[in-house]
Amino acid sequence: MTGLFKTRLQRHLREMAKYLRLVFNDFFVFALLFLLGGLGYGYSNMLKTLKTGYWWAPVVALLVLVIVAQIGRFATLIEDADRVFLLPKERAMHAYLVAARRYSQGLAQATQVIAVFLLAPFMSVTMAWPVLSLVELGLAQIILKDALLRLDLASAYQVTGQTRMNRWEFKWLLSIIVLAAGLWTLPLVAVGLALILDIAVAVWFAQHWQKQQIRWREQIKIEDNRMLGIYRFFNMFTEVPMLSGTIKRRRYLDGLFKLIKPRHDKFYLYLYSRGMVRGSEFSGLVVRLTVIGMLLLYFVRGEWLPVILAALFIYLIGFQLLPFFQQYDDVVFTHVYPILPAQRLKSFVTLITLILSVAALLLWLVVVVANPHLMTAGVTLLVEVVEVWYLARIYTPQRLARSIENRA
Amino acid sequence: MALEVSHVVGGYSQIPVLKDISFDVKDGELVGLIGLNGAGKSTTINHVIGLLTPHKGTITLNGVTIDQDSQAYKQQIAYIPETPVLYQELTLREHLEVTMMAYDLDHDQAWATAHELLKTFRLDNKLDWFPANFSKGMKQKVMIVCAFLTQAKLFIIDEPFLGLDPLAVNDLLNLIEDRKKKGASILMSTHVLDTAQRYCDRFVLLHDGQVKTEGTLSELQAALPEAGESLNDIYLSMTKVDRA
Repeated sequence: MTGLFKTRLQRHLREMAKYLRLVFNDFFVFALLFLLGGLGYGYSNMLKTLKTGYWWAPVVALLVLVIVAQIGRFATLIEDADRVFLLPKERAMHAYLVAARRYSQGLAQATQVIAVFLLAPFMSVTMAWPVLSLVELGLAQIILKDALLRLDLASAYQVTGQTRMNRWEFKWLLSIIVLAAGLWTLPLVAVGLALILDIAVAVWFAQHWQKQQIRWREQIKIEDNRMLGIYRFFNMFTEVPMLSGTIKRRRYLDGLFKLIKPRHDKFYLYLYSRGMVRGSEFSGLVVRLTVIGMLLLYFVRGEWLPVILAALFIYLIGFQLLPFFQQYDDVVFTHVYPILPAQRLKSFVTLITLILSVAALLLWLVVVVANPHLMTAGVTLLVEVVEVWYLARIYTPQRLARSIENRA
Repeated sequence: MALEVSHVVGGYSQIPVLKDISFDVKDGELVGLIGLNGAGKSTTINHVIGLLTPHKGTITLNGVTIDQDSQAYKQQIAYIPETPVLYQELTLREHLEVTMMAYDLDHDQAWATAHELLKTFRLDNKLDWFPANFSKGMKQKVMIVCAFLTQAKLFIIDEPFLGLDPLAVNDLLNLIEDRKKKGASILMSTHVLDTAQRYCDRFVLLHDGQVKTEGTLSELQAALPEAGESLNDIYLSMTKVDRA
């Protein structure tokens, strides 16, 4: 069974490596270096302004450490078919899950070490902690994470009936107790508490797992969600074929759809608008890019920079939306229903115009708020209007007409 | 003559799967398309619904080909696929609504029909469900409801009997009977030969991309007198000849 995990891990790592190569392209690495450099510079500047003895310093440290302790999930690499094919091997799965936990430690513990390392200068400035105490605190953090991952492993089994030991409230509570004890008394106390917790869970689990079943369905779902999260991250940089996205009802937006009359020529508008809003794949993209654009525009000053940035973000949103046109190509009714392709294109253009207009308006409002120059706001508006019109009404139909022709 | 398939050569790529196929479906007639896996049933259906373009030959539906007027052609067809396909982001209610929009049906009248169909297939309390929450059989019922909502002149039903509960099979056969009486034609592919034997007016037996025989059961019996009485026997003997 450890062999099975090893094979899967190799495949998983190969896949991750493939995507990471695409994510960390030259451009992104360059941007990342700048960002990290800027953040590091800002952090060191901030440290210079701080003194020892703030009451809130341990609170900040506690918050950061508790949040970081939750990072790093239990990666099982379990697949849907396992509940059929591995069911007879349920006892042997224990070795597999233990191997999975061991692998999950790697990234999780690296995160913990880096976080403590980054937090160390802050704590030594504001709390005057010596290096030894910081090392002890780091040790406590690692043992705590070990215990939390053990809870995840234990929860793969039905050891505690319907209640799970790895509920997030419970994990947060444990982390707060252990770390607060360390921060407000001695770091060695945190080490002690974390050790007691870790050993207690380990002993208790070792005595109980043999008689219990694995929560197959739940573990499969958890692993699916974990992979989905990873794919979504990659999807911001490149196309990920496994990504179908989740669907949410979003009933509160039903009023919006009422504006689309159920008439023959509105078929695609009806379909596209609902698909856009309820599917997370494209709507998430639009929301993410708009929010990032708004944040950026809020902090950027200058006469021309806001104009260029606003235009860039609208271009990015519009460009990323184009594949949504083919979203329903694999549903046979898209081809069988008696609707002219021209109507489909028209509906799509309407949708794109609408989405880009809303995004443009939001970006423009931020520019108006952030910039005192009326001139900048005016030019931004003008550029945005022209760009939305060109992208939606001219570029989109041309580009998609070509893709329709290529298929026929 | 509702549907007329004449000398069609076609397939997914340049290599033809269908080798010169001809048959027809008359008004008010239920024709069974019978064949082994890979015989060309689905390919034939894909050509009729316009997903594939024939390399040679023509397919006319009440005098119109898809090239002449794709709207007029498609307007006459309702299709029930073998594997249910649904729009993941639309609820059952919205699926019915888009079908009405696509076929330009009268809203109130179509909803009256819809409610009746939903009741028959016990879906009337699931109008706000997403496809993800439906079982395979339920999805298939949604397909049936959407198709029979329309006033199509030709219903194309791909293997309808697998996955449906016996009650739904019975209800579907009643629906087919009802539409036949109103003059609609039905082309149905299936492996469930005893049901086909009882309900189909005529049969088209496909084998290896060719029409082996076609006709009513008595015509088939007359053509292959040693084969046996039932459609099952006739079909088996026909494939055996080929294997020997």
